[in-house]
Amino acid sequence: MTKDRRYGNFSLLTSFGLLLLFLCQQVSLAAVHHQRISGSAGDVLEDNPVGRLKVFVYELPSKYNKKWLEKDPRCLTHMFAAEEFVHDFLLASPVRTMNPEEADWFYTPVYTTCDLTPNGLPLPFKSPRMMRSAISYISTHWPFWNRTEGGDHFFVVPHDFGACFHYQEEKAIERGVLPLLKRSTLVQTFGQNHHVCLKEGSIVVPPYAPPEKMQSRFIPPSTPRSIFVYFRGLFYDVGNDPEGGYYARGARAAVWENFKDNPLFDISTQHPSTYYEDMQRAIFCLCPLGWAPWSPRLVEGVIFGCIPVIIADDIVLPFADAIPWEKIGVFVAEKDVPNLDKILSLISPEEVLEKQRLLANPAMKQAMLFSQPTLPGDAFHQILNGLARKLPHDPQIYLKPGQTVLNWTEGPAGDLKPW
Amino acid sequence: MKKAAGSHRPTRMRSKNRSGFSSDQTSDTAFRSTSISFFRIFIQCMFCIGTLIVGFRFTREAHFLRASFHHPEDSFSRRTGARMGSLVSIGNRSDLDLRIQEEIANDPEAFRLENSETIIRSRVRVDVGRHAILIRPWPHPDPFEVIQAHHLIARVQMEQWQLYGSKESKPIIAITTTFVRSFQAVHLTGLLHTLSLVPVHVTWIVMEAGGVTNETAYFLSKARVHRLLHLGFGDAMPAGLKERGQLEAHMRVEGLRYVREEKMEGIVVFADESNLHSLDFFTEAQKVDWVGALSIGLLGFAGFEETAQSRIADVHQEEVGAGRRDNLFSRRTFEPQVQGPSCDSEGNLVGWHIFDPLPLEEEVYTGIMLAQNRRLEWPNFVLNARAVWKTEGNQPEWIKSWDEWATPKDGSAPDIKAILRDDKQVKVLGDCGRKVLLWWLRAEARADSRHPANWVLDENLEIIVPAKSTPWPDRPVRVPPPPPPPAAATVGTGSKRGAGSRVSGGKGRRSKRRQSRPNIS
Repeated sequence: MTKDRRYGNFSLLTSFGLLLLFLCQQVSLAAVHHQRISGSAGDVLEDNPVGRLKVFVYELPSKYNKKWLEKDPRCLTHMFAAEEFVHDFLLASPVRTMNPEEADWFYTPVYTTCDLTPNGLPLPFKSPRMMRSAISYISTHWPFWNRTEGGDHFFVVPHDFGACFHYQEEKAIERGVLPLLKRSTLVQTFGQNHHVCLKEGSIVVPPYAPPEKMQSRFIPPSTPRSIFVYFRGLFYDVGNDPEGGYYARGARAAVWENFKDNPLFDISTQHPSTYYEDMQRAIFCLCPLGWAPWSPRLVEGVIFGCIPVIIADDIVLPFADAIPWEKIGVFVAEKDVPNLDKILSLISPEEVLEKQRLLANPAMKQAMLFSQPTLPGDAFHQILNGLARKLPHDPQIYLKPGQTVLNWTEGPAGDLKPW
Repeated sequence: MKKAAGSHRPTRMRSKNRSGFSSDQTSDTAFRSTSISFFRIFIQCMFCIGTLIVGFRFTREAHFLRASFHHPEDSFSRRTGARMGSLVSIGNRSDLDLRIQEEIANDPEAFRLENSETIIRSRVRVDVGRHAILIRPWPHPDPFEVIQAHHLIARVQMEQWQLYGSKESKPIIAITTTFVRSFQAVHLTGLLHTLSLVPVHVTWIVMEAGGVTNETAYFLSKARVHRLLHLGFGDAMPAGLKERGQLEAHMRVEGLRYVREEKMEGIVVFADESNLHSLDFFTEAQKVDWVGALSIGLLGFAGFEETAQSRIADVHQEEVGAGRRDNLFSRRTFEPQVQGPSCDSEGNLVGWHIFDPLPLEEEVYTGIMLAQNRRLEWPNFVLNARAVWKTEGNQPEWIKSWDEWATPKDGSAPDIKAILRDDKQVKVLGDCGRKVLLWWLRAEARADSRHPANWVLDENLEIIVPAKSTPWPDRPVRVPPPPPPPAAATVGTGSKRGAGSRVSGGKGRRSKRRQSRPNIS
């Protein structure tokens, strides 16, 4: 009895102290350098996931992960490197547990985007078979997959269209999400509403961008931002889209054709060596879709304080429940691209300053990076926070013994071959 | 080059797609429609061959033609790649599903479809496929929107200055010497706008040679500075450059005397009107303790310029000699002449860079210029106003007192560098003189050139009188002898004389007339 009362007093004191701390923090943040960010899930950007969930990491044979890295170390630097870094992070994280019975989430480290061409582009043709083989391995060696048929498992699939495992959108839609992953949580970079390849409950993450490369190129913040709109990249992909009109659904070409002579728009295909410095001297940075709607430009824009102008219909941006992207970026429909200059110049200065204040929040910048070594609030922690928000699991995911939901023979015939 | 995500198809794969239907079938299609009529296969082959010949997806265009009658679109023009006509986007997948049914029934061959069930099953709302490139008919930006954008930029920069800008904001005292002349409007307007944009309080002391005039006052009225002092100096500006320099030195000292008597606070900057200032110059000047020095770049005569003489000589070389084409267009490295402090690797002042002009072909300028430019200019130095105050006890001992340096006994012009007893105490600004924040534009109209008052012409110009009798010597430009005329042009003895050589008398009227027509090359 007394123990309960002491506990009650203690909890009262701590809650009062926390309230006081919270108020102080609100008052101290009256300085207008930056502003707190709270998304639809609340003020969760700076949550600490440690203690809120436990993750068990399966030990797979090295042919699923390490062998690929040995074959091609470029996997650690390209924009799909999130899968490798999440694996390393979880191995060393305090949320990792060695006891699978108490784990909330199970992670399978399989590097599906590490099969690179000589140019460095990942080929997804073997990825479905590799994933299938990994799942059959974990289902035979541990009982936890069969318990829920993947309901409490999560996978990192950072490829163009996530678990659809193809780089062409039409093919990816035809294939759909790999049937075996139907019940699992997917951590992916692709996010588009009303699209087959974005499963409900997926966690959208930013593409990997090397943090040191960007953080070494900061210029003094007093350098005046004199470029109105900045963009560097392709407008026409003549190699893969010679007819025109397929790449970026014609949006990038529309940007070029409409604004190539507009002095307010600094857009070009020439990639300068001062790319990062120029972004810090720009107010708006265009982030149009390419072959897939996501791009590393969003990450770069956020790091360098350039307001992202997102031209991709129905896109789902990373950590959308933690970060209120409508308040931070400018969304332009693809059909409105010819009026882009009108849209941007008619934004009120107060709104622009507000967005810049939100972008200046260090928590925001931290959340976009996969920092090495890991820092509180970085992308890894946001993934864990997202997973923690999905807890506790719906009891319906637990299957009765003998009950099966997934059809292992589902899918194109080519996927069924063993790997 | 930065690539968007996914723009990495191996081109081998994609190149197969150019030939119509057959390549779209990959190994994992398992839903082929079993009942394909022979007619459809035939039409499919014809379209294939047509695509191979023409070079684009014929079937897509055919479908477009059908679809274009169903979809009237709005005012944007559509454009596809280089070879196409216009194309309309195919429309939502959901109504596509219905149309698929009816069009397969009507005209199956015009529709590219091999996995009908899977496409119907997809829930995609944004189309996959070809889209139009929307271009608006009037491409130019609306001027109102451009002004809005510039207001936005200005507001953002103001906010940046408030948040991150230099917190030190000592007022600036700018001392300028001027006099009424043709280029006064050019120089003074530029300086006026620069000083109006300096974010701290500016006191602008304008010393005018020849007394205060209305014309200068007219220009100065547009300045938006904290305080404007328009003072007159008795003597008119002399014509010679050396004398001008001396008079300007006296006028600046007069301005400093004003600062001294009024006990003004701030940083004294010698803003010559022929200088181009960067706003960073005024930020950098804030860092001075007592005396600062920085670099000034020189425009208007840099080492790369060549004279008209040498260029003509090159033309001749090119025409006569062979293989010397590169002479005329050879790249000359532009070495901007910079005058100012120079440091060693630790950042301590070790010396001064002084402008040393290259001699011209004609030795006309060297005499005059050299004498003027063997020492540092006043704009190279930035002073704390307290350095010239009366209370000499508060100044460090390496600054001479006013009487010692400002009024030299031998009657020569005062020099700002004479304020220092010890050169090493000068604070070197602008990244040890490496950053040039200040440019001296050495361009001036002739001393006797006339200009209308306030540059406003009430009447039309009727007579143009050439300016005469200036102390600046003319650079005689010899007209180059023209290339020898072609043989068929002139007949007779006249051709041998060449152009420009008018022979008067001599042969007779006919030849004289022929001569008198100059040969225009």
